Amino acid sequence: MAELAGIYAASHGPLIIRKWDSVQPAHQQALTGAFTELGRRINAAKLDALVIISPDHWVNFFIDNLPMICIGVGETHGGPNEPWMMKEFPHQTLPGHPQLARHILDTALESGFEPSVSQRMILDHGFCIPLLKAGIAPLPIVPVVFNDIEPPFPSVRRCYAWGEMLARAIRSMPGSLRVGVLASGGLSHSVGEATMGLVEEEFDRECLAHFGAGDPDALCDFLTERLPRVGNGGSEIRNWVAAHGAAGGRGFDLINYSAVPEVIVGCGFAAWNPVRQA
Amino acid sequence: MRDYWLSKLFFDLQDPAKAAEYRAGRAQVLARYELDPQVRAAVEADDVAYLAPRVNPYLLRFYFLVAGMSEEEFLRRIRATGGNNG
Repeated sequence: MAELAGIYAASHGPLIIRKWDSVQPAHQQALTGAFTELGRRINAAKLDALVIISPDHWVNFFIDNLPMICIGVGETHGGPNEPWMMKEFPHQTLPGHPQLARHILDTALESGFEPSVSQRMILDHGFCIPLLKAGIAPLPIVPVVFNDIEPPFPSVRRCYAWGEMLARAIRSMPGSLRVGVLASGGLSHSVGEATMGLVEEEFDRECLAHFGAGDPDALCDFLTERLPRVGNGGSEIRNWVAAHGAAGGRGFDLINYSAVPEVIVGCGFAAWNPVRQA
Repeated sequence: MRDYWLSKLFFDLQDPAKAAEYRAGRAQVLARYELDPQVRAAVEADDVAYLAPRVNPYLLRFYFLVAGMSEEEFLRRIRATGGNNG
């Protein structure tokens, strides 16, 4: 069976690309170091495929059809279509992994989830900034979009349960694949609302402490109560919750946290040490 | 509650060609959308406070970049709303 060989999380944010030159040198160093360490770990895991959980920033979906969760099952996915991202990202397309994606889809359906399905997804900056900045060697991607952007959102507990299901799916995939999971997004940020630009460092650090504490119920309670009261970008922490679920709620290892007002994001980077199955 | 046609306008303007057309002449593009007259007037007046509760905040922010409002001016206006437009 396939192995869940690594679980990771990283922030993204357009200004990491668009206004990099405006980022203070100390923050540039912190972000570069964090992305580099993340990439080192992912490349060292020698993955055959990477499941990336990210929001869709109004690229694939609109309010006339907005899935809570969507899996990209196609042979190929489109690269980012944001003009500023297209200048930096070296690939116009990325390979999918239809067999793995289909197995995750089937497992989801057997487990009480009904995700939407995309045969060809455009992978926007949420997917591609971590790939680019961490220098992740090209590999097949199974994209999973969580609706983190427009209420109503999937519940925090549902995201945790999705992660648990994802781990079961990967570990029951026939063959000898080495599969990783990368959650992209968060931590606190606020876009297009009255608090725009606010990075809520105290919330972020409390959130990270919950990830590290190994009590998923407490984490879910905390986020269920707090996410509606922080900046809208904090909703993307749902993706981290899914990664935490995939890790069985254990083994959280914070690589770096830096509140970076220049990119208006509380930037977090983490890995989990997955519990090996007997 | 989101305003569908306002949201559709902002969503469509993510296409660089449509954004260029919009910048060249708003009226021709606005005519294609079934905007409520008050909403259309708010678009024409760059009325951030009126539009904010009617559209997703990410699309709102993106729209005003496309429309040519400076980041500083957008921040000033959106912060002045003081409200929850999510």
